[in-house]
Parts: sequence; structure tokens; C-alpha cells
Amino acid sequence: MFNVNSLLALLGLLGVIVMIFPLLSKETKIKSLQTSVNNLKKALDEMDEQAKLIVRTDIELNKAQEELDRKITSLYTLQKLSRTISSTLEESQVFKKIELTYLADLGFQKALAFLFDEKEEKFLLRLSLGYEEEEAAKIKTFIDLNKATYLEFIRNEKAVSSIATRENPADTKKTKEIFNVLSFVFTPILAKEGDHGLLFVGADNPDTTITEGDEELITILANQIGQALENARLFEKTWQAHQDLEKRVEERTRELSKALEEVKKINQRKNDFVSNVSHELRTPLTSIKGYAAILLSGKLGALPEDVHKRLGKINKHSDELVQFVNDLLDLSRIESGKVDLKLSPLNLKNVVDEVADLLAVQFKEKQIEFSSSFPENMPEVMADYSQIKRVFINLINNSIKYTPSGKISVNLIKQDKEIQIDVQDTGCGMPETAMDKLFTEFYRVDSVMNQEIKGTGLGLALVKSIIAAHKGKIWVKSKVGAGTTFSFTLPLAY
Amino acid sequence: MLDIGIGFSSEENAVLAAEEAIWKAKDNLNNSSKIDLALVFNSSEFSAAGIARTFSALLSDVPLIGGSGPAVISEKGIYKHGIVLALLGFPEGAYCNTAATRDINEKNPFTCGKELAEKLLFGFKNIPRNLGLLFFDRLIDGGPNFIAGLQENLGKSFPCIGASLSGQNDLTRSFLYLNNEVFNNSCAGVIWGGKITFGMGIKHGWKPLGKPHLVSSTVGNIINSIDDKPAVELYEEYLAYDPVKLKKSLKKLSVSYPIGVFIPGEEEYLLRNVTSVEDRGALVCQGSIPEGSTIRLMISTKETCLAAIPQAIKEAQKTLDGSLLRQSNARNSKFAIVFSSISRYNLLRRDIKEELNFIKKSLGEIPFLGVYTHGELAPLIESSYRGQIYFHNQDFSVLIIEG
Repeated sequence: MFNVNSLLALLGLLGVIVMIFPLLSKETKIKSLQTSVNNLKKALDEMDEQAKLIVRTDIELNKAQEELDRKITSLYTLQKLSRTISSTLEESQVFKKIELTYLADLGFQKALAFLFDEKEEKFLLRLSLGYEEEEAAKIKTFIDLNKATYLEFIRNEKAVSSIATRENPADTKKTKEIFNVLSFVFTPILAKEGDHGLLFVGADNPDTTITEGDEELITILANQIGQALENARLFEKTWQAHQDLEKRVEERTRELSKALEEVKKINQRKNDFVSNVSHELRTPLTSIKGYAAILLSGKLGALPEDVHKRLGKINKHSDELVQFVNDLLDLSRIESGKVDLKLSPLNLKNVVDEVADLLAVQFKEKQIEFSSSFPENMPEVMADYSQIKRVFINLINNSIKYTPSGKISVNLIKQDKEIQIDVQDTGCGMPETAMDKLFTEFYRVDSVMNQEIKGTGLGLALVKSIIAAHKGKIWVKSKVGAGTTFSFTLPLAY
Repeated sequence: MLDIGIGFSSEENAVLAAEEAIWKAKDNLNNSSKIDLALVFNSSEFSAAGIARTFSALLSDVPLIGGSGPAVISEKGIYKHGIVLALLGFPEGAYCNTAATRDINEKNPFTCGKELAEKLLFGFKNIPRNLGLLFFDRLIDGGPNFIAGLQENLGKSFPCIGASLSGQNDLTRSFLYLNNEVFNNSCAGVIWGGKITFGMGIKHGWKPLGKPHLVSSTVGNIINSIDDKPAVELYEEYLAYDPVKLKKSLKKLSVSYPIGVFIPGEEEYLLRNVTSVEDRGALVCQGSIPEGSTIRLMISTKETCLAAIPQAIKEAQKTLDGSLLRQSNARNSKFAIVFSSISRYNLLRRDIKEELNFIKKSLGEIPFLGVYTHGELAPLIESSYRGQIYFHNQDFSVLIIEG
């Protein structure tokens, strides 16, 4: 029998059972949610860890990128700066080319450069960027006071910087204080010759980090400055040497001009003397020749054979003497410019033919074969007929004298604006040593053959003067035993 | 129609540079005899006194506002040595007023903000005012309080945009110009009103990384603790740097990995650079972070950083197109003022030219000038421009002006 209490207890139990089920279900859900929350929290923590990895990787990448960017910018700036510095050849301008903008692009805000003056034995401030005048002067005083240390630093030829841990003469902390910067690079300026110095660059920006790359870069810049200073010095030296040379050339030219004037005066005096003497000689000669001619003509009575023979010799030598005096006079006149050339278009073939006719007997006597060749349509030359005829006579006569037998030829070759005339013989020729003096007055080649051949030594000198008066040139080629060729040029008429 | 003449010079000498910029800007104006406002930015190594003197001599009574920054932005390029100037002739019914407040770090920031607002509002009775443009020459210690003071008088929903124009390294070489005067430790501003409309956009391109953290204790711009641990531990954990190394390099590293502050209801995180680490492990930030903020570490690539430019410009154009003040029938002309954080300049390094290419491409025919800054002042996104103004780090912001 169920009593009421038992029933109520049963109902209560049933109620509890009914209530427990949803509670159990909710608890499961809570547990599930808790698990999800824990999972989410774990995922979030994991994600956060991943975020940390991303940030750290990003920092490394940024650092590498930044360093690369900086290096590219610095190298580009260094290239520009080097080009600018190298473009100047004035020592005083080298440092003026380094401007604040370049320095900023290299990552620095301040710069100082000093050169050590060996004579004065002190440092000279050559560059100051980012410093007030007073501040720079104060630093210079410090450098001068510690001259020995900084000279030793230059001798070491090594840069120091605020990243350096090695011992250096410019103690890092002190350098920062003295130069009023937070980071710096300090490097010697070295030139092969001349003044050495110091280059200091610094940054007052706390964000600036000096790297070994900066040290290298500033060292390159210092070397460039050293090179530019040396180039400027060399240029200055070369320029100075050039100036000295020019001065000496000028002085020498002045001396030579003076000497030339003197020579001209002497030459003029010589010409005047020759002219006067020749005139003085010709007057009595004319008388001698005149009287000899009268006597020879027999107008004053018949002469004994011996006397006639001797008078003939007097007459002949008088003729030669007259010719010699005339040559001397002509030479003197031509050289002193007293002869007016009668220039006109001239056919050289006619002249050569005339001379060949004139000397035909002599060719025949010495069994010399004479020939001449002319180019087709040979142009005329601008020349004085009688003077040029004289040139041909002298040259061909000369060839006849020194050609015991053989050939003499005259060849005319047309050049661009002139005609070249070659008078060639197959005679005895002459040594090379004689050729330089050949056209000098009274010069005769020293040879056995010459001792037998008469000559005054004026013929070729006269020829040279005549050719020069025509604005032509004359030269000779010769070989002992093979013959001689005299060549000269005359300007074309048209 | 708004008459705009922009001139640029990179002459070495401040006086010559200012003269050349003025001459070029005048040359680009339709009517150089009616100039209502001159806006100038120059790189900080110029002599501010020389520039101000030249402007005073050549522009006489034309209101002038501007300042020096680490680099200037012109259509010709981005220059660490240069001066860029815009001369503006307003259309009929458009007005502006310039003012400045000095010694802001020595005075109560809230009072300073209020004082500037009062000066700016002078003469604007019954004229609808549209936008405020503000320049600081350095970071303000009580930045949020200054803005609160400013908004107290200008109105909570009044849109403002601006920048901190400090020099790159030397804060003593940071100057502001207002009319014929050169200021330091100040804020200068201009309010525009009447028939002139604006569109502004601001983006940074940084993305959150890792799990969120809670700023458990702050005082102004100093974060004492994050997740109840010394704040510096956040960076120690993520960057795996020892404390000494981190203290030395965090200022630079935080340009790449700034703190992103989550602002409820805003799309973008507000970025904060860390300027230093205090001995007790507190982080000193470039701008305040409210206590209880949720923060994330932020990361960017050059691509996302550059992508922020077209996004900001698109947003500015969208704001301009949707402006209720805009008179669609009128024949209007536009110009833009751009502010980019110097952190972006340092991050992009040799690719900085890309930033200019993105600006030019996105602005199209719109002429512009700008300056690199140490912080930007703007709402987070255009939709909330009638609300809170924030001090930003690492952002690119743009203001397009039409009239």
C-alpha cells in the first residue's frame, strides 16, 4: 500500500529526475562551450605567437631593406660627390664642392675637414658643415692642441668611428663630446704628395646608426678628396711648369729674334760691302778688258804671237772675273730684295729647250746624252724668264761639270699647286756630308775632282736665292758614284 | 569662383626662395590683385624671419598662415629643401579669419583652445562657418584638452583638420607663420565660411596584428601599463628585444609597428607612435590614449601604406560631393592641401616618390600643395566628421577645397 508520503516521495524523485536531465544537458553544453572558449583562446594565443613571428621576420626584412636602401643612396651620393670633386682642378675648390645636401644623403648632418700644413706645422680648417663658426674654431683649437695624436692617427691610415671598439687616438666618447655629435666616422685624408689631413663626419640624430659600411664609404670619400687634392696639385705644378716653359720660350724667342736682327744687319752690311766692292772691281775690270780687247783687235798695231796669246788669257780671265762679280752683285741684290722679279706665266718647256740649245756644244764635247720630259698639257708657272733661265743654266752647267760622260735629264712633274723640276745627272755624285752646305755661298765640295774643276761657289747659292724669291723650294739628292739630282719647285701660274 | 595660384621654389636663400614662390604663385592666379589668403609651407632649415619679411614686403596685408616642416610636397616633387605657397582669391560670399594662440605648453591647454576659437570666430557673426584648419609647431602636452577647449567655442561637431609642423630632428627650428609674424610653441588657425565647401579624408594603411590588449593605466600620452604589466613589455614580447636595446630603438621601430587604438564606432584604428620608454617601463606616445582602450600592435607594408592615399582622397571627394553646402550648378574650382606623416617619409625612404605619384594620380587635375608633419588632426572617417577630432600619427590626410 502506498501511503501519501511514499507517493509524494516518488513524485519528488520523478521531479528531480525530470529536472536533472536538462541540467545535465546544460552542463554538457557549458562544458562544450568552455572547451570552445579554451580552443578559441588557444587559437588566439597561437595566432598571437604567429603575429610575433611575423613582426620579428618583418623587422629583419625591414632592417635588410633599410641597409640596402641606405647603401644604394650613399653609393649614388658618393658617385655624384666623387664626380663633382674630380671635376675641379683647383685645390681651394675641392672642399667647396662638398655641400650639406650631399652630407645629408650620406646620412650625416655635420662635417669638418682639416689639412696639415707641414711648413706652419698646424692644421688648417678647410671644410665646416653643420657647425657654427665659433664651434668649428673651438674644435680646431682642440685638434691643434692634440696635434701629435692626430698626426699619429693620419700615419695609421685607418678610419675610426663611433661603432669601433678598438683603441683609437680619438677616443669615442671624447670625440662625441668635442665634435658635439651622437655618432661619427673619422678618417685620414691621404695624398701621395703634399698635405695630409682629417675628415670628420657626424650625426646628431639619435636614430642614426653607424655601420662598417659607413666607415668604408667615408674612407672612400676621404681617398677621393686626397686624390682630387693631388690632381689639383699636379695640375698646378704642370701649369706652373708650362708657364715657366712658355716664359723661357718667350725669352729665347726674344733672344733669337734679336740675334736674327743682328744677323740680318750683318748680312745687309755684307751685301752692301759685296755690292760696293763689286762695283769698285767692275770699273777697273771694264778698263782692263777694254784695253785688252783694243790691243787684241790690232788697232794699235800687230802684236807678237806670245803677247797676243797672253792678252787672250787676260781677256778670258777678265771675262770670268766680270761673270764672278756679276754673280756676286746678283746674289747680293736678290738677297737684299733689290731685284724686282718680272713675274709672268712661263712655259718651262721653252726655257729648257733654249738652255739645251745653248749648252749643246758642251754636251757634245763631253759626250753627254741630254733628255727632257714634260707632262701632257703642262701648265705654265709664274716666274721671271731670265732668272729661271739662269737657274736652268747654272744647274745643267753644274751637272755637265761633274759628269765626265753619261746622261743629264730634266723632268718636270705637275704637283697640286706647283711644278717640281728635277735636274738629274749620272755624274760623280757627292757625299751626304756635303749636301747641307751645298747652297752656301763660296762653298765647294772638298774632293779631288773639284780641285780640277773651276768654280766660284756662288752658282748654287744664286740658284737657291732665285728659287726662294719665287716662293719655291730647292733640295738635292746625291750618292757618290751614282749621280746627283737637284729638285726645285715653282708655283703654277693659274 | 575660387582663384588659386600655387608657386614653388627650392632656391638656397630664404628671401630668394620666398620671392620666387610668390612670383610663380601670382603668375598662376587669374587676378593677382585680389588675394584673400596665403598658405605657405617650407622646409625647416630656411630662415623663418627671412621668409616672413619677404612675404610681408611682397604681399603686404594679405592674411597668411603656414609653417615649417621636415619636407614640403609640391606637384614638382617632395623636397627636404623648398618652399611651397598657395595664394587664394575667394569667390563672392566666402570668408576666412586667421588667429593664433601662443605659449600653449606653458598655459592651460583647455583655455588656450578656447582662446583660439574665440579669436577665430571674431567677425563670423551671422556667417555660416564651414571648417577650421589648424597648425601646431610641436606636440601639445594636453592635446585632447586643447581640442576640447577649441570645440567648447567652435561647437562639438565643428569639423577641423590640421597638422603638427615640427622640424624633423630639431624642434627649435619649427615655426608657424601668421600674417607678418613668426611663432613658436603656438597654434595658428584659419576658419573658412560662406560659399566655400570642403571634403576631407584621412587614412594610414596600417593593419592590426596579434591579439587585443587592454590599456590598464595611462596619464595623457603616457601608457603606464598594458594588461596590468609594464607597457614596454608589449614590445619586448612581440619584437623579442632586450629592454636596453628596445629603449634605444623603439622610437624608430614604432614607426613601422605603432600602437593601434580601437575606437568604438570607427572603421580605422587610431595610430600612436612611441617617442620614448621611461625607466619604469611606461611608453611615451605621440598623442594621448584613453585609459581602458583596447589596443593592437599594427603592421604595414609599403603597398598598404601607399594604398591609404587613394582611399583618403576618395573619401575627401565623397565628402565634398555629399556636402549640403555645395552649389552643384556653380562653376567651381578646387585645390587640395595634403598632410603626410614624416613617419611615412621615413618608412617609404627611397620609394617616397611613389607617394607623390599616388597623390597626383588620385587628385587628377586638382592642384595641390602639402607638407610632412609630426602628427595630423582630423576626425577618423568622414561619416563622423561632425564628431570627435583626433590627433593622428602616421596618417595621410587631405583637404579638398571648392569654391
